[in-house]
Amino acid sequence: MNAMRIAAMDTFAERQGLKRGQGIAEARALCPGIDVVPADPGADQAFLEALADWCDRYTPLVALDGKNGLFLDITGCAHLFGGEKSLLEDVLLRLTRLGVEAWGAITSTPGLSWASARFGSETIIAAEDAERVLVGLPMAALRLERVTIETLERVGLKTVGDILQAPRAPLARRFGSQLLQRLDQALGLEDEPLSPRMPVASLSQERRLAEPIQGEDDIMGLTLQLAGGLKSRLAERGEGGREFELALFRVDGRVFRIAAGTSAPLREPDRICALFRERLQAVHDDLDAGFGFEILRLSVMKTERHDAVQADFSGSKDRNRPLSAFMDRVVARFGPDSLLMPVLVESHVPERASLYLSLQDADRRKPPKLQPEAYVRSARPLRLFSHPELVEAVVAGIPDGAPAGFRWRRIAYRIARSEGPERLEAEWWVDGETAPARDYFRVEDDTGRRFWLFRRGLYGQQAVMPQWFLHGIFA
Amino acid sequence: MADKAAARESLFALRETIARLEGKTLPTSVQAGDSRETGGFAQHQGAIGQCDRLPLGIPVLDEAMQGGLPLAGLTEIRNGETRDAGAATGFVLALGALCQAARSPGDNAPILWIGQTSASAEAGLPYPPGLRSYGAEIRGLLMAAPRKVQDALWIAEAALASPVFAAIVLEVRGNPDCFGLSESRRLHLRARASKIPLLLLRQAGEEEASSAFFRLNITPAPARARHLPDGSMLGGSIGNPVFHVTAEKSRTITPVGILIEWNVHDRRFHPVEPALQSGIRSALPVAGVSASAGRSSGADPLGRVVAFERAS
Repeated sequence: MNAMRIAAMDTFAERQGLKRGQGIAEARALCPGIDVVPADPGADQAFLEALADWCDRYTPLVALDGKNGLFLDITGCAHLFGGEKSLLEDVLLRLTRLGVEAWGAITSTPGLSWASARFGSETIIAAEDAERVLVGLPMAALRLERVTIETLERVGLKTVGDILQAPRAPLARRFGSQLLQRLDQALGLEDEPLSPRMPVASLSQERRLAEPIQGEDDIMGLTLQLAGGLKSRLAERGEGGREFELALFRVDGRVFRIAAGTSAPLREPDRICALFRERLQAVHDDLDAGFGFEILRLSVMKTERHDAVQADFSGSKDRNRPLSAFMDRVVARFGPDSLLMPVLVESHVPERASLYLSLQDADRRKPPKLQPEAYVRSARPLRLFSHPELVEAVVAGIPDGAPAGFRWRRIAYRIARSEGPERLEAEWWVDGETAPARDYFRVEDDTGRRFWLFRRGLYGQQAVMPQWFLHGIFA
Repeated sequence: MADKAAARESLFALRETIARLEGKTLPTSVQAGDSRETGGFAQHQGAIGQCDRLPLGIPVLDEAMQGGLPLAGLTEIRNGETRDAGAATGFVLALGALCQAARSPGDNAPILWIGQTSASAEAGLPYPPGLRSYGAEIRGLLMAAPRKVQDALWIAEAALASPVFAAIVLEVRGNPDCFGLSESRRLHLRARASKIPLLLLRQAGEEEASSAFFRLNITPAPARARHLPDGSMLGGSIGNPVFHVTAEKSRTITPVGILIEWNVHDRRFHPVEPALQSGIRSALPVAGVSASAGRSSGADPLGRVVAFERAS
């Protein structure tokens, strides 16, 4: 029989004597006034990630820890908040205001912080006090497996202090290497790197507001100021930004991130601002200002070398700047697939001989080494359909005569002149060895419309009659 | 007597102002000394008659377009049905290639083709190897593929904001409601300000009043035969494409249809004498009256409404 059991509870319930894993009925008997909510691990995880997003206001290096913890690397950030103590108090106070019960600790290693936050009483521990604090903590503070902890308890090693001074080799032999690794991590003798959730920006400029803002014009004005601040720092490094991100922190904790990319390295504040104006137009519906944004941060995620361009008297080099400004605007507004460039491909199959690629993809491709045409090829149409359209009722001479009439899109055409056939075999390395060849005809009807028809397959070779298709139209 | 003369004087001055605004020149105009009097309207630098024109090489058409294709402003090219799209596309791309060729050699300004997706779904996309065999070597062709007509108009406006492109082709399908007189006027003014030719390719669309300088209707016509080395023509072959161009909106009176050949190797237009094209029968008989001049859209077809004066 499946009983409902307690998965998690708050401090008040704990004080009443309830334990994890206890049945709900029993718990209700012990404490009638409890409030039971079904567990939802997905929602919990999403909430934890939202909290991690919110912690981005303190430091970009935030990592998730299990199901209910966060690691923040605040090396070098603490002075921005008035010291470690006030930073910790600020975090815990805001979390309490958000309705979250939290404990925290600031120490020199993640392991010690973990231990101290959950099992210890001190909240800010200097590096030299690590051993002293660890001595009194239970073995579970070392993030060991349950099995290992039970084995240690059976032997009588209940607190960390019991193993601190013990010889290491027998411990490793008896309980595995993880025990010593965790101990060293907590003491700081072994490094434990944090892998942050989001990529860390190279440069960032932020502004904290006393009064939250909501309007788009205010956001744009602030973005312009932030971009102005970034300009000098980018200029010092001789770089320009290729990818920017604007992070908007809402008062209730939600974080919105808007990313924008450019086709050439960029430093000018008005162009960066114009880029984000287009992006804001594009994501307008998803951005809910709520009660306003209190922090705005503009970061440069990717940079590239960008030397200052001297104004040229001929003005010819300046062609690229307005062109890339135009391309950036369109891509920011409509997405990367809205601007395409034709690229020639080494292939004799017409629909593969030329592709339209977005600008990023076209940049990445190397231009193909097209050989000069070794054979005289017949003309290609001006417009090509992406999929050849089936035509019916084709009257053509067998085996390879040109058609005399056909029906396309329910209209009949009578052909006055034709040129062809041009036989294009299929690419057996792509389509397979049994793919049929195509005979292309350039035809003109009696009013002067010129089409490109092909017959797929040869008469007599297959059981079914070969089909005719219209692939393109000529001028 | 005096006030009649004064009235005539002010009428003449008004006519001259209107003509200057519209870019026409009055047949017998005594240019006033102070040409800055525009009655409060802002004057662009140089009237329209003086801005660059690209001569197309065909005297009749160039005369109809007052010198050639206007290189700053909106020109509309329309084709009546989707199956005729090849002819209009060819004409537009030839114009684009000529615009690019007319620029200075070191100036590699690209050409922007804004193709709304429904238009390219119906008639296909421009095919670069085909452009090569057509003789319209366009370097730096950039294609925009917006989904809606409003997006296409936005991109056109953004492209006209800076003098980057040699020519911009905006392809729309039909007569969408959101692209009316006011939007076309806006694009026309932008194109004039930044001196970029904007070619509007209206596929399968009806005649509609727009702010373009000229509207040309293109229908296909049988091609010339190929030339053999000894000068004769190879019967039954399909050589240089030929278009049938009707100037629907122009400043002067033009013949109903002009046949133009695009020479693929010389990369220019040639006029075609109709006598050589034996056996051409256009779909509609030649109208008894020549096309109207100076109007924004075509004349009503004859015989639709007959109104008699009330016999008293």
